[in-house]
Amino acid sequence: MTPGSSKWLSGKGKAIAPYVFILPPLAYLAVFMFWPLARQMWLSLTDTRLTNPNGGSFVGLENYQWLFDDPEFYTTLNVTVLYAAVTVVLGVALGTISALAINRPFPGRPLARAIMLFGWAVPNVAASLIWLWMYNERSGVFNDMLASLGLDRVSWLTSTHMAFSSIVAVTVWQVAPFVMLVVLAALQSVPDEVREAARVDGADALSVFRAVTLPHILPSLQLVSLLVAVWSIRRFDIIYLLTGGGPIGSTSTLVVKIRQTAFESHELGVASAYGAIGLILALLVAFVHFVTDRRRQKWMAQ
Amino acid sequence: MFTRARRSFLTGAAALIATAATAMTLNASHAQEPVTLVIANSQWVDALRGKNLWNAVQQYQKVAPNVTLVQEAIPSAEFADKITTEMAAGQGPDIAMMQDGLFYTAADAGFLVDISKAVEGVENLNATNDHGVVNGKRLGIAWQRAVYALIYNKPLVDKAGAKVPTNVDELIASSQAVHQATGAIGFISRHQVSDLTGFFMDFQNWAYGYGVNWVDSDGKLTIDTPEAVAAVTAFKKMYDARIIPVGDDFPTQRTRFKEAQVSFGIDNSGGTLNIASGAALAPGDLAAAPLPFQHPGAHQQIFLGVSTHSKHQEAAIDFLAWLVGPEGQAALREASGPDALATDVPVTEAFQAANPWAETFAELAKDSRSTLIPGYEVQTTQIMRVVMEAVERVLVADDDPQAALTRAQRKIDAKRF
Repeated sequence: MTPGSSKWLSGKGKAIAPYVFILPPLAYLAVFMFWPLARQMWLSLTDTRLTNPNGGSFVGLENYQWLFDDPEFYTTLNVTVLYAAVTVVLGVALGTISALAINRPFPGRPLARAIMLFGWAVPNVAASLIWLWMYNERSGVFNDMLASLGLDRVSWLTSTHMAFSSIVAVTVWQVAPFVMLVVLAALQSVPDEVREAARVDGADALSVFRAVTLPHILPSLQLVSLLVAVWSIRRFDIIYLLTGGGPIGSTSTLVVKIRQTAFESHELGVASAYGAIGLILALLVAFVHFVTDRRRQKWMAQ
Repeated sequence: MFTRARRSFLTGAAALIATAATAMTLNASHAQEPVTLVIANSQWVDALRGKNLWNAVQQYQKVAPNVTLVQEAIPSAEFADKITTEMAAGQGPDIAMMQDGLFYTAADAGFLVDISKAVEGVENLNATNDHGVVNGKRLGIAWQRAVYALIYNKPLVDKAGAKVPTNVDELIASSQAVHQATGAIGFISRHQVSDLTGFFMDFQNWAYGYGVNWVDSDGKLTIDTPEAVAAVTAFKKMYDARIIPVGDDFPTQRTRFKEAQVSFGIDNSGGTLNIASGAALAPGDLAAAPLPFQHPGAHQQIFLGVSTHSKHQEAAIDFLAWLVGPEGQAALREASGPDALATDVPVTEAFQAANPWAETFAELAKDSRSTLIPGYEVQTTQIMRVVMEAVERVLVADDDPQAALTRAQRKIDAKRF
């Protein structure tokens, strides 16, 4: 290496090095994310059909108008928001409680942790098919248990008042272990001496949690809530395999509706409009996360 | 004059012979080129039947050794989505075996080539091929037509002393009688909109059985007719009788039938052959009867089509020409059970003897109807989604059949198909 090239490396080279490093991921995102996203937004403004994906004409906001005039759209939106909200509340609560339960050492903790992680480790499709059998009205294990207790069999997936709860249960079972893992990592960072000091000052367990533990794990809880909410908005496999969006649309989320509109009605334009609404919903969740995060930081600073 | 005329005749003849010889050489060289034809079919994944059908089509390689046939096996639930997406992207198989709904969609989108050359000189094409002609072009040839019948497990029905039903009340009574006597499931039926295509095609038997047409004489869609209300009411009565395994998808219900755990079902001949193939229920213990309705039922039709995106369209058409010829039809007959084929090839005596249920299907095929709505073939799935959602409201939410179908009619009128 000549002294000149060494000088170049410490001068201009240093200046452009970050851009060189950022270029590959940027190119990846541009090809596999931003371009498809832009294309989807464009498709939502056209009357493109699945059978002729390059032949649509520009129709402006007609697809959105059609959606807003359709009562089914509001049902779908309600189901999506409710599904995401319930999944976040139950998934994060259960995951946090589980993390607190296994945070302290006890005999068999590694085994307990492995078992509790099972739901997250099993592939969604395999898990959904197993749950499908467990929910089976005639020969499923849940109804066998109810029958052995002398209770009536339940239509877990085929009745409008049970189907939603059933898919939420599967989702929470799948999501909670991930939350547990994240919160557990956050709990490891809570200094023992601060907790000990609070106890010496006479704080009970609940007060220690509220005053010491919670502020430490709050950023992780916020982040994991954001992730679970966005995943719930775009979750397809569990819902599609268990109920297909039924009965009577009671579990039909935006993503299920996208599939139905694109592949049954072949209306790619309308399906893309559904997708755009889903994207707005996810961005809204991210915005709420951003605002609450800023508020939390201000509160912590005071 | 005579000499000149003779000379010009000889010159012309020589030119003709030379042209013919060149063409023959070209054809011969074309025929020798190695060609791979990809054939998409959901039936390839069927246990036993798929293997038998594949062995049948592979016999083509004896007469065309330069052609290699390759399967594109797609489960039926995903077949239409995948083929439509592939073809729309300019890809996909050379040849596809498509349910009639998908066939009309592909034809409407211009994904299929004219294959009239494949049937040139074939005198005995039967009526199953009629709908393969779209806008004056032959775009499809019948692969199989599977008619629906009432099927039952004879030993179970005999053991319970139950009657083979001829109407819905008897169907419910007999199903309950077999269940009480043997513990077997009374009846199997699709009943969930999550399996839309299968559900609406099976439901057409109930609709047609009660005289439903879905269109009037002017071609207007008629959903809330008294006949349709009667059909939905009858289906609801069956559903409420709790004779079907509610929540089970149809492959599971078929598997239960195969395992001799079911007494009655309404299924097509292809599905019935699947049930009768290689499981606990011996083919001789399976029986078939006319549907328990007043009017004839439905059939499912599968068409063969050649993709416009195929790079070997001529080779694909040559393959189809062989398939509708005597050799191809004979090979297909062996593997197709009682399904109607492109030509009238009778089932073998050996098959008939081993599968006594097959004869009923052949009889019912004479007046069965397509599951597609005449004049609305491409839109049938969308129209039937609205209808089946109304049916689901009746089944699950105890909605009134008349009110549910009236709302469906309004919805369909608003969509202006």
